Amino acid sequence: MDPFIIAVIIFLATYAVIISEKVHRTVVALTGAVLMILLGVVNQHKAIEGIDFNTIGLLIGMMVVVGIAKDSGMFQYVALQSTKIAKGKPIRIFLLLGVITAVFSALLDNVTTVLLMVPVTLVIANNLRLNPKPFLISAILLSNIGGAATLIGDPPNIIIGSAANLSFNDFLFNVGPIALIVTVLTSLMLFVVYRKELKTADKGAAKTFLKFDPRQAISDVPLLKKSLFTIAVVLLGFLTHGATGLEGATIALGGAALLLLLTMNDPEKHLHEVEWTTIFFFAGLFVLVVGLEEVGAIHILAEHLIAWTHGDPATTTYALIWGSALFSAIVDNIPFVATMIPLIQNIGELTGIPLTPLWWALALGADIGGNATLVGASANVVVSGMAEKEGHKIGFLEYMKVAVPLTVVGLIACTIYVGIRYV
Amino acid sequence: MKTFKASNYMRTPVATIGKGATLKEAVRIMIEHKTNGLVVVDADNRVAGILSSWDMIQHLVPDYLEEDQHLAAFEAAAKFKERVTELADDPIERFMTKQVHSIHPESTLMEAAATLSEFRIRQLPVVDDDGYLVGYLNRTDIKKAVAEILGIDPQ
Repeated sequence: MDPFIIAVIIFLATYAVIISEKVHRTVVALTGAVLMILLGVVNQHKAIEGIDFNTIGLLIGMMVVVGIAKDSGMFQYVALQSTKIAKGKPIRIFLLLGVITAVFSALLDNVTTVLLMVPVTLVIANNLRLNPKPFLISAILLSNIGGAATLIGDPPNIIIGSAANLSFNDFLFNVGPIALIVTVLTSLMLFVVYRKELKTADKGAAKTFLKFDPRQAISDVPLLKKSLFTIAVVLLGFLTHGATGLEGATIALGGAALLLLLTMNDPEKHLHEVEWTTIFFFAGLFVLVVGLEEVGAIHILAEHLIAWTHGDPATTTYALIWGSALFSAIVDNIPFVATMIPLIQNIGELTGIPLTPLWWALALGADIGGNATLVGASANVVVSGMAEKEGHKIGFLEYMKVAVPLTVVGLIACTIYVGIRYV
Repeated sequence: MKTFKASNYMRTPVATIGKGATLKEAVRIMIEHKTNGLVVVDADNRVAGILSSWDMIQHLVPDYLEEDQHLAAFEAAAKFKERVTELADDPIERFMTKQVHSIHPESTLMEAAATLSEFRIRQLPVVDDDGYLVGYLNRTDIKKAVAEILGIDPQ
């Protein structure tokens, strides 16, 4: 059979099974990747060349650093401190926790952010005798929005930055401002939606809760200092890597090595905590996309897309924001972005239009579009799983009723921003 | 002379509970029998699992507090009562230990001790060739055998 047809069949079948969620996505992606080699679409050498080890190294490095740092209790401390700053007023706590989620998410992976924020959020809501659902929905929305702000905030950004050679500061100064605007807009809308529900709090409960000292959450002060130092070094590395030429993986893995050295911890435990299923999922996806590229399928897709938009930069950019958002609302945004990257590169080669606006359009559409449904991004799935376990099941449509309008408003803001700044 | 095998040191009858029981029933039986461990059996008296107070405690702690132990200090005091009330009718099948290590009545006490030690478990059902529960060994029973060898008066 023609390698072209084989590659397309493997690719589509793999994606179909990933979407069906019948088999773990990592197993599916790995199987698809190996089939690309076994059936002769690409050889192993090309396949491995296609794996972006900068993305993989950056992910692993950050996972190790955060895995160690979270044991210090620093993230919980910040979240608990917010109840003091808000003086126990529910609506203030609600908004402040949202902002904290967005900020954490800009620096940490979205899933890590919600895994840190949801437990502490549940504790706060229980203490104040409040329904935790608004808090959980807010955590989903703002983790995805905050994640859009930086290179390291959301895996799609890491892949885009690595492929298009965009630095941490490129992301910070280009998508950072709009992420901030969308955070503010979303917080305002959440305020409008939930202000009645969060009005009444048990005053006595709030009073008792405020007696707690958030510093108790810090379980290990030496570890806290070492973690903060390492995070500062890593951030400095990212803020200057446009000038130093150091790539993301070097900085993140450097941070991991530094923190392991400082803590003298057994690396075995911390390397176990790396989400290897995610790492292997990425590796598999990269190989799948290489297969599709190799046989020219991506090129053909790019030609169709150009014919459809007439190669007009503005149309292409807007189509990319909304198209990416629509796709990301339905399927996981990582496979989508991995496929779109070579496609956009092909569009660039074919038409010569400047690609930078397209990268921002892709990142914003994919990161923020994921907010629309409960399955749109990994963080959404994680939060809804935790909520269900604690007896606060968030319904699919119940979520969409709040999330879709907010997501659409966010995307309109993105469209206007990109239109003014880049088109 | 008495040989050091399971059947000579196991206790009978065994405190058991049916597979379909709830958390509330399990706690009642544990209190009645003054024990922290029950053997879960099906209708044919075959071992289906082990239920210890430890399993119950783990079930009682919500997942979000297990991930962040130091958070538990901040949780509302009323949460404990709420959880217990919520979980009272939970079937024990949901939180019992399903992977049960058991031994044969003819097994030696060394084998029993080795099993307890290797898997860091506290209870060991004694099961005959057909899979029926015939007795039960725990750490106390091993300790009694040790005392016997050392000539320590059980009183």
